[in-house]
Amino acid sequence: MRFQLNFKSGKPVYLQMVDQVKAAVAAGALRDGEPLPSIRPLAEELRVNRNTVAKAYTELEAQGVIETLAGKGCFVRAAASPLRKDARVRLLAESVDEAVVQAHHLQIDKSEFVRLAEDRFDRFADQRDRAARG
Amino acid sequence: MNADTPAIAIDRLRRRFGANDAVNGLTLNVPRGSCYGFFGRNGAGKTTTIKCLLDLLRPTAGTVRVFGMDPARDEVEVKSRLAYVPDNVAFYPWMTVRDTLDYFASFRRKWNAETERALLDRFQLDLWRKTGHLSKGQRTQLALTAAICGEPELLVLDEPTSGLDPIVRREFIQTVIGAFQDADPGQRTVFVSTHLIAEFEGLIDRFTIIEKGRELLTLEADSARERYKKVHARFASEPADLDVAGARVMRRRGREIELLVNGNAADVLARLSAQSPETLTTEALTLEEIFVTTLQPGPAV
Repeated sequence: MRFQLNFKSGKPVYLQMVDQVKAAVAAGALRDGEPLPSIRPLAEELRVNRNTVAKAYTELEAQGVIETLAGKGCFVRAAASPLRKDARVRLLAESVDEAVVQAHHLQIDKSEFVRLAEDRFDRFADQRDRAARG
Repeated sequence: MNADTPAIAIDRLRRRFGANDAVNGLTLNVPRGSCYGFFGRNGAGKTTTIKCLLDLLRPTAGTVRVFGMDPARDEVEVKSRLAYVPDNVAFYPWMTVRDTLDYFASFRRKWNAETERALLDRFQLDLWRKTGHLSKGQRTQLALTAAICGEPELLVLDEPTSGLDPIVRREFIQTVIGAFQDADPGQRTVFVSTHLIAEFEGLIDRFTIIEKGRELLTLEADSARERYKKVHARFASEPADLDVAGARVMRRRGREIELLVNGNAADVLARLSAQSPETLTTEALTLEEIFVTTLQPGPAV
């Protein structure tokens, strides 16, 4: 798992980490039961405060993406979201809304947007298949 | 003491030298467990403030508290719980690195020999070298090592990286702060004064910008980067009447414009997109750019 942080994106650094772990899990780059790097070496490598990494891991744990085993570290959890379906849909709707606003600014129309969404879905499915075979 | 008591609480601090107020009504609170940046130009009042925390100077007015205690009244207790590294460290030049560490340890209730070994190793400091023969960088490494081996709860750094090799300094500040905070996560506080802000970009949780002895801006680093944005737009032709109210124009050349916004990016972006730009991009300011912007005279953003 490689993180790429961008201080110029305006998005809180810990949220960038949260999203990247979630993306890695979705793409199969991180599989169930695999460990995440421990906090201090990762903080040093990324040149961020340990508080930032700790906050990202706490958030990932709250979202049910990872679990912490005392004395052992953080591990990717089997994909069983603790949230009910409607809550999960609502969460996703927020992200889709952002993307729709962005599409509007970039003059991407609805059909193009939907096509893009399908493409991205397929790409993740491909990556996941390859990761599973790999 | 309550766990919510801030590591540092400064309330309307004033410190006068002759006819000048070096610090003039400064208020700030440093939450425990945070890495707090104290940013200001040379002469803004940073060192004077720090000296009041250490009881090296007495306030003219206002109060300073460290873990809820008055540094003048509870001097020993305060000093046993913090470590201070000034910008220009002086050691006894005839002492070796080993002697110096032992000397520092003799003032401390606790001394973490394991941390000492790990840092000496990492920095490759020669224990038998006399401190008078160390480079400026090595002296700072020794000072930082000595500071954190005593396991203080609060680490006060005054311009820790000034005058150092730019490649070395980022790495070892990161190492030292990492080792310090990791030993007791969530409880160990760093208060770092600097004007070399870029080096601390990822480390700072929260910061205060001080100018002429007063607080100009206090923000969480993440919120600061969400609030301050640079917007760049390019239009097909030079727009006749562009409404950029609420933004500061950084650059305008023909069809291109670069703006700086503070908190109202969505609003400004909406007005720009109404003019159908060819490209429209935003990026967050770095903490250093925010610092420069805040201190720059010009129309407010």
